[in-house]
Amino acid sequence: MSRQISVRDALYETPGKNARKIIMASTVISIVAMVLLLCLVIKIFSDNGQLDAKYWSFFMRSTTWRFIGSGLLGTVEASLLAGLTAFSIGFVFMVMRISFYKPLQFIGAACTEFTRGVPTLLFIYFFFLYVPKMGINLPSVWRVALPVAISASGMVSELLRSGVNAVPKGQREAALSLGMRETMVFTKIIFPQALKYIVPALFSDLVIVVKDTTFSYIVNFPDLMQNAKVLISNYDALLSVYLVVAVIYIIINYLLNTISVTMAKRGGKR
Amino acid sequence: MMKKDNTIISDVQAPVVELKHVEKYYGAMHALKDINLSVKKGEVVVLIGPSGSGKSTLCRTINRLENIKSGEILIEGEKLPDGGKELAALRAEIGMVFQSFNLFAHKTILDNVMMGPVEVLHRSKTEVEKEAMELLKRVGVDSQAHKMPSQLSGGQQQRAAIARSLAMHPKVMLFDEPTSALDPEMIQEVLDVMIELANEGMTMIVVTHEMNFARRVANRVVFMADGAIVEENTPDEFFTSPKTERAKEFLESIKGHM
Ligand SMILES: Nc1ncnc2c1ncn2[C@@H]1O[C@H](COP(=O)(O)OP(=O)(O)OP(=O)(O)O)[C@@H](O)[C@H]1O
Ligand SMILES: [Mg+2]
Repeated sequence: MSRQISVRDALYETPGKNARKIIMASTVISIVAMVLLLCLVIKIFSDNGQLDAKYWSFFMRSTTWRFIGSGLLGTVEASLLAGLTAFSIGFVFMVMRISFYKPLQFIGAACTEFTRGVPTLLFIYFFFLYVPKMGINLPSVWRVALPVAISASGMVSELLRSGVNAVPKGQREAALSLGMRETMVFTKIIFPQALKYIVPALFSDLVIVVKDTTFSYIVNFPDLMQNAKVLISNYDALLSVYLVVAVIYIIINYLLNTISVTMAKRGGKR
Repeated sequence: MMKKDNTIISDVQAPVVELKHVEKYYGAMHALKDINLSVKKGEVVVLIGPSGSGKSTLCRTINRLENIKSGEILIEGEKLPDGGKELAALRAEIGMVFQSFNLFAHKTILDNVMMGPVEVLHRSKTEVEKEAMELLKRVGVDSQAHKMPSQLSGGQQQRAAIARSLAMHPKVMLFDEPTSALDPEMIQEVLDVMIELANEGMTMIVVTHEMNFARRVANRVVFMADGAIVEENTPDEFFTSPKTERAKEFLESIKGHM
């Protein structure tokens, strides 16, 4: 029998000599291209007067940064709540799909497809416009976190299922042979291994959740984007504020990606 | 080089494992055809036969990893339960060793051995740990107890897997080609453990092509072809003068591989 190939081995091949050369070359080319692009953008900005002091001076004030900081906290709060909720809902969908009951499997699959197919914005509108009419008053953070979570849950469910499917069949058989019941086989043997496979991918999916929380402005939850909009109208400085905010989002998502890559590397060593 | 004629095989007790007219299909494929087999306490039965003849399937029906279409499987005279708690409890008493070891990849060797007694039998951890370490010592991997399975050689993993099964104090052990995934130099260390077990009186059903093992410890060789039992014989007779043409052909074909 052939050796078990881990998901990681199948997805990432260690680059050979030629591949390394190509990677090096393309890295250099893309860095040069990015620097050129940045110069071009700055040139266009200065031509249009966007580099004028009035668009940037308020960034010298600590109140501006405190305001941005509180927005950042809002983003982090909404993202964490949405991420954890998406994981929980996705877990339920996945368990339904792999259950032994056909109707439950169908419901799980339908929920997964539905939440994956519908754009986040529609869920946001549903929770913003319709849910309050039903007499349900959610705290404002949940008005963004819940729809974002629901929208991401199908994706998480699929990811969890791929992890579960990646656990070799023999693990289940060995556990059953010891006299474990199906539930125990799943919780003690299959799921912990599945999770190990997909934790890196879960973290990179969190990037999508973070980006989706920018819909906060619709429901008036003070996240980074909403506070940016306030700064823009206060100082009439569209480009500079968006630029700064974009950089902050990039940093958050870069950090998430770094965590994901580190975990993938650590997991692979096992 | 003692043959296991020192164990007393009792005739009064019900056989540990008994199969009566067992039929098994995979879709349209008839995988087991009217299988009748009885294994008494302390007996070692070697299952042999060409690839695809149904040896693994037969092994796996005994603890119901595969369901059968008709016929009966009895463990110590009791019918194999359909499922649920009863089936799980019965499986706990039947050890199974796989070709690909199947140690739990996310647990240390020691935890692998402790898992069954602690989680399934709800025995105390300290007591189980002591016993597990003794078992690991017995199969010669006690120095690897705190490593992960992937850090061990194939032979060590398989010996640990045997210890994991033994920790449940099984009534019978099923081995499905336990040495065929191993490098040649590791085969003997696993066979040695199995020979010792056999000599201690463990009831064993072993799918293997290791002729030396069969000759040394088997009470009986069961030869399968195309899903049916074709010949049952003593190991000596089976390997030197088989009764059936089918077995002769098979032995001819695997000569030199053994
Ligand atoms: N899960 C399955 N689904 C469909 N057919 C199967 C399945 N498992 C086994 N078979 C078929 O049943 C027959 C018996 O298979 P089995 O694995 O029991 O043979 P074996 O004697 O163990 O062979 P080997 O020496 O190759 O391990 C084969 O023809 C095989 O293709
Ligand atoms: Mg087989």
